[in-house]
Amino acid sequence: MDLQLSPGETAFRDEVRSFIRERLPAEIRERLHRGHPGRKQDIVAWQRILHERGWAAPHWPREYGGAGLGTAERLILVEELQRAAAPQPLPFNIAMLGPVLLRFGTEEQKRFFLPRLARLDLWFCQGFSEPDSGSDLASLRTRAVRDGDDYVVNGQKIWTTSAHHADWIFALVRTEQAARKQDGISFLLIDMKTPGVSVRPIVSIDGQHHLNEVFFDNARVPVANLVGEEGRGWDCAKYLLASERTNIANVGLCWERLDYARELAAGISQGDQSLLDDPKLGAELAVLGAEIRALELTNWRFLLDPEIGRKNPGFASVLKVKGSELMQELTTLIARIAGPAGLERRDAEGDAALHPLAAAASRYFFYRAATIYGGSSEVQKDILAKTLLG
Amino acid sequence: MKFDLNEEQQALAESLSRLLDDHYGFEQRRAIAGSPAGWSEAAWGQLAGLGVTALGIPEAFGGLGGGAGDRLPVMQAFGRALLLEPYLASSVLAATAVLAAGSEAQKDRLLPSLATGEVRMAWAHEEAQGRHAALWVETRARRDGAQWRLDGVKPLVLHAGAASRFVVSARVSGQPADKDSLALFLVDAGNAKLRSYRLVDDTPAGELILEGAAAEPLGEVGDHARAASAIRATLAAGTAAACSDMVGTMETAFALTTAYVNTRKQFGRLIGEYQALRHRISEMAVALEMARSMAVAAAVAVDDPASASAAADLPRAKLAIGRHARALCQQAIQSHGGIGMTEEYAVGHCLRRIHVLDQLFGDVDAQAARLARL
Repeated sequence: MDLQLSPGETAFRDEVRSFIRERLPAEIRERLHRGHPGRKQDIVAWQRILHERGWAAPHWPREYGGAGLGTAERLILVEELQRAAAPQPLPFNIAMLGPVLLRFGTEEQKRFFLPRLARLDLWFCQGFSEPDSGSDLASLRTRAVRDGDDYVVNGQKIWTTSAHHADWIFALVRTEQAARKQDGISFLLIDMKTPGVSVRPIVSIDGQHHLNEVFFDNARVPVANLVGEEGRGWDCAKYLLASERTNIANVGLCWERLDYARELAAGISQGDQSLLDDPKLGAELAVLGAEIRALELTNWRFLLDPEIGRKNPGFASVLKVKGSELMQELTTLIARIAGPAGLERRDAEGDAALHPLAAAASRYFFYRAATIYGGSSEVQKDILAKTLLG
Repeated sequence: MKFDLNEEQQALAESLSRLLDDHYGFEQRRAIAGSPAGWSEAAWGQLAGLGVTALGIPEAFGGLGGGAGDRLPVMQAFGRALLLEPYLASSVLAATAVLAAGSEAQKDRLLPSLATGEVRMAWAHEEAQGRHAALWVETRARRDGAQWRLDGVKPLVLHAGAASRFVVSARVSGQPADKDSLALFLVDAGNAKLRSYRLVDDTPAGELILEGAAAEPLGEVGDHARAASAIRATLAAGTAAACSDMVGTMETAFALTTAYVNTRKQFGRLIGEYQALRHRISEMAVALEMARSMAVAAAVAVDDPASASAAADLPRAKLAIGRHARALCQQAIQSHGGIGMTEEYAVGHCLRRIHVLDQLFGDVDAQAARLARL
C-alpha cells in the first residue's frame, strides 16, 4: 500500500502546477474561484492555451491532437486544473464526442472534427434529453427520415447546456421504430446553422442562462454526419457515458470549493471572532475534508484498477453519487457561510462579479442540478443496485 | 499509488478467512461470548499459529516485522468475524507501546512471547474524565525507595482479564492534560485490583484499580517526550486497527443485508425488488467503498507518519469510517426489520461493535474537533 505519487507522477504534477501558475489568466481564475461558471471566451481562451501545450485532450491519442496521457497523469491533470480554479477542457468536445468519434467515426470524420474539437474551433453541445425522455433516455422521439443524401430531422431537445454558444450539436435521433426502444436510434452531428434548427433559452434557478431547448423543424443533415451505423446510436451513447470517467467525481473541484469555504469564513468576523473559530463550522469543514479525501482515494483506487469494470461494475455510479452529493454540500455550506451578506443579487459581469459573495447563492441553487444531470442519483442507485442485487 | 494487498498479505488474509469461516461462525462466536472468559484460548492459539500475533513485531524480537498495512487485512477479517480475542489489546496496543517506549532489554524480554501469543498484555491508558482527550492522565506515579508505585483508576482496559501484565500511563507531576510529565509503566496483573466487565459488544474489559501498585518503568521515567510520543504511536496504531476492523464489520452487515433482501418476501415479492430498499443498498455500497479507501489511508498514515498527508489522514479516516460504519449498520438493521433487532442475529452485533470502535481512540466528533485544530 502506498498513497504517494511516483517520482514521474510528482514531476508531472509539478509541471502542471507551474504551467497553470504561469499561464492561467488571473481574471479567469478570479471569476472561477468566486464560484462563477466559466464564460465562453474564457473557456475558449484557456483551452487554446492548454492545446498549445498539448493537454487539451488528455486521453486522446497524439495523432489526433490528444496528449496520450495514462490514467494517473489524466487524474493529476484534471485534479490540478480543478483545484487551481481553471476551466476544464470543454467536456462535450473532449470527454464526450471525442471518444465516440475515435471509436465509431470514419477516418474523414476523425480528421475533420478531432483537431477542431481539441482547439475548440468548434463548440459542440449534447442533444440527448427530450421533454418526455429524461432518465428514460431511450424513449426519445426526435425523428430523422432519410431523403436522398440527407436526413430530415424533426423534434425537440431540452436541457441542452450551452446550445446558445454551440457551433454544432451531437444528437440522438430515431431513424426507425423498432421493437426494442434502444434499437433504431442514430447518432448525428448537426451544424447549428442548419436552416430549421432553433434555440430557445431556459433560465435556471440561479438566474442564469446555461440551458436551452433546441428545435428541429425539417432540418436537413447530410448522411455523412452519421456517426457509426444507422440504428446503432445507442452503442455510441453508452460508449460516450462509459468511456471517460476521469471527470465523474470532481474531486479537485470539491477541494477547491472547500478551500474557498475556508477562505470566506476566515474573512468574515464578528467583533474579534472569525467565523473560522466557530467550532461547529470547524467540525463541518472537517467532515467535508474527510469525505472529500475518501472520495479522492476511492476515485484513484477505482480508476487505476484496469479490472474495476469486472470487479465492481457499478463503480462509476459510486463516484457520481458521492461526488455530486459532496458538491451540493459544499456549495450549500458556502451559501450558509455567506449569510445575509450573500443575499444581494450581484451581476455576474464586471466588478460586481468579483465580490467574494457574488456567486455564493447562485452556485448553491445551480448545484441542485448535480444530482439530476448526467444520470440522476436515483438512476445511479438503480444501476448500482442492479449490480449488487440483480 | 497502490491500494491492493501484496502477495504475502493476500496469502495471510486468505488463510485467516478460511480459519475464521471454519471455526468462527456466528454461533461459535456466541458460545465464546457466553463463556466465563468471553474469549477462546483455542481460537487464540489458532490465530497465533497463523503468525498474526507476530505480525507487528520486528524480526529482531521474534516477529515478522510488519506494519499497519500488514495488519489491515487481518483486522478487516477480525471485524468480519466480530472476533472477540485480545488481538487489538495485546498484539496491537500493548506491543506497540512496548516497542515505542521500552528499553532494548525490555523489548528483548517482552516482545518474543507477545509475538508467539503465549503472553498477553493489555493497554491501560483511559481515564474516567478523559473522554476523547489523547493525553489526559490522572494516574500518579511516585517513588517509594527504589520502587515506583502507581495510584489511580484505569477504566476501559480492553481484555484486562486476559493479560498477565499491563502497560499503564501515569504522570510524575503536573495536571491531567499536561503532556510534559508523562511516563509509561509495566504493572504485573498480581499487583493491581481488577473489576472485570463486558463492553456493549461483548468485548471483555476491565477497570484497573491501582493503589500503590508496584510498577516497572517502561523505558526511562524522565524521558517524558518519548512517553508522550509512545502513547501517541500506540493510539495511532489502535486507530488504524479500529478503522480496518470497522470496514470488516461493515462488510458483514452489508453481506447479511443483501442476502436477506434477496430472500425475504413480502406482498408476494422479494423485498429486494422494492426501490426504496434497492436505493438504500446502493447508499450502503457507496459508504462501504469510502470506508475501504480510508482504511488504507489510516494504515499508510501509521506506517509513514512523516508523509505530508499522514497528520490529516488518520483523523479523517477515523471520522469518515465512523460516520459511514454507523450509518451502514443502522440501515442494515432497518432493512432486516424485526429480525435485525434480535440478540440471536448477527446484524445488530455489527452496530454494537461499531459503536464501541467509534468511541475508542476518539469518536467522530472528537476527530472533527482535532481536524479543526490542525
